[in-house]
Amino acid sequence: MSTSTVIAIVIAVVILGWLIAQYNKLLRMNVAVDEGFAQIEVQLQRRADLIPNLVETVKGYAAHEKEALENVVQARARATAAQGVQDVSAADGMLTQALRGLLAVSEAYPDLKASANFAQLQEELAATENKVSFARQFYNDTVRILNQTVVTIPGTFFKGIAKVGEREFYEIEDPQNRQVPKVNF
Amino acid sequence: MASFRAQQSVNQRKTWMLLGSMFSLVAFVVYAVGLYFGQVGFSIVPIAVVIALVSVWGSYWASDKIVLTMTGAKVITEEDHPQLYNLVQEIVIASGLPMPKVAIVSDAAPNAFATGRNPEHGVIAFTTGLLEKMDREQIQGVVAHELAHVANRDTLVSAVAATTAGALALMSDLLIRMMWFGGNRQRNSGSNPLALVAALVALILAPIAATLLRSAISRRREALADATAIAYTRNPAGLRRALETLAEDSTVVNQKSTAVAHVWIESPLDARSTAKLFATHPPIEERIALLRKMENGQL
Repeated sequence: MSTSTVIAIVIAVVILGWLIAQYNKLLRMNVAVDEGFAQIEVQLQRRADLIPNLVETVKGYAAHEKEALENVVQARARATAAQGVQDVSAADGMLTQALRGLLAVSEAYPDLKASANFAQLQEELAATENKVSFARQFYNDTVRILNQTVVTIPGTFFKGIAKVGEREFYEIEDPQNRQVPKVNF
Repeated sequence: MASFRAQQSVNQRKTWMLLGSMFSLVAFVVYAVGLYFGQVGFSIVPIAVVIALVSVWGSYWASDKIVLTMTGAKVITEEDHPQLYNLVQEIVIASGLPMPKVAIVSDAAPNAFATGRNPEHGVIAFTTGLLEKMDREQIQGVVAHELAHVANRDTLVSAVAATTAGALALMSDLLIRMMWFGGNRQRNSGSNPLALVAALVALILAPIAATLLRSAISRRREALADATAIAYTRNPAGLRRALETLAEDSTVVNQKSTAVAHVWIESPLDARSTAKLFATHPPIEERIALLRKMENGQL
C-alpha cells in the first residue's frame, strides 16, 4: 500500500468515527430526555400514593373541610390518569395547588398539626414536592441541551437520520390560566 | 439566575489554568535539571513521578474507605435519618447522579464532607452538630454543595494536584541532596557558582510554588461546588444561610488532622493560623457575599 492510500483510509476512518459519534450523541440525549420524563412520573406516582394517607389523617381532625379534601381527591384522580407531557404537567399543576390548599386549611387545626403522623406526612410531602420539582428541572435541562444541539451545527445535520427532534418542555401552568375564558352573549 | 452557569465555567477554566501552571512548573524544573545535571538529573524524574503516583493514587482509589475511617463517620440507612435521606434523594434527582452513601460523624461542630474516587463510589457525610443546628433548607444547600463535589470529581482533581506537587517536592529534595554531595562536578566542570545558586533557589522555591497552586486549585473547586450547588437547588439562600451558620459557629470539628482538612465544607483548621495563600477554602465571608449577589440577581 502506498502512503497516500494509508492516509486516505485513516482520514475516512476518522470521518466515519466522527459521524457515528454525532449520531450516537443525539440518540443518547434523546434517551436522557425520556429518562428525565420517567423520573418525573415516578415522583408524581409517589406523591399520588401519599395522598390517601394524608386525606385520611386530615379527615380525622377536620372532616368538615370538605371542599379542600374533595379538590385533592379529584386532582389526584386526574393526575393518575394523565398521559403525555402536556396532560401530565397540567394535572401536576392542579394537584400541587389542591395540596397547597389542603395544607393551608390544616394550619387552623392545632390537634392535627401536633399529631406525629401529620408531621411525618408533611416531611414526606415536602420531600416529594421537592423531588417532583427537581425532576422537572432535570428534565427541562436535558430538553434544553437536546434542543440546543438539534438546532445548531453539526447536530442539525444529523437530526433527520437519527430521527431525533426538538422535545417539549415540562411547564406547569397555573390551572386558572388554562381555563377557557367564559364568554357571555 | 443563570449566573451559576457563568460561575461554573469560570471556575472550571481557572482550575485548568492552575493545573496547567503546575504541569508547566514540573516541565520547567525537569528542563532545568536536565540542563544542569545532564543524564543523571533526568533519571530522577521517573523515580519521583512513580513514587508520587504510588503514594497518592492508592489513597485516591480507597478514598471513600480511608476518609470514613479517619473521620470516624458511620454510614447510615434511610431508617436512621429519614429527613436527611430525603434531602439527599432530592439532590440526586436534581443532579442525575447515582445515590451516594450517606454518613454521619458524631461531632458537635457543624460540618460536612464528600469523597469517593467517582460518583459510583461517592460518600457524603454530615456531623450531628450540623443536622441539629440547621433547618431543612440549609441542609439542602449543604447536601447540594457536597454532591457538587462528587459530580465535579473533586477527589480526582485534588489527587492530580497532590501527585504533581508531590513529584515536584520529591524531585527537588533528591536533587538538592545530589548537589550537596557534588554529584555534578565531574560531569559539569565548567559550571559557574552563580548557576549553582540559581539552581538551588529554583529547587527550593518550586515545591513552595506547587503547594500554593495546589491550595489555589482547592479554593477554585470550593467556589465551583458552591456554583454547582445552586445549579441543583436554584436556591442560593439555603446554602448562604448554611454558610452563615458555619461562620457564626466557633466550634471546630474535633480533629485537626491536616491530611483530611480539604474535604470538609468549612475548613477545620483555625483560619487565623493558616495564611490566606495556603488556605484550602476561600474565606467564608466571600462565599456568602457571592451567594447573596446571586440571590439578588446582581451577577
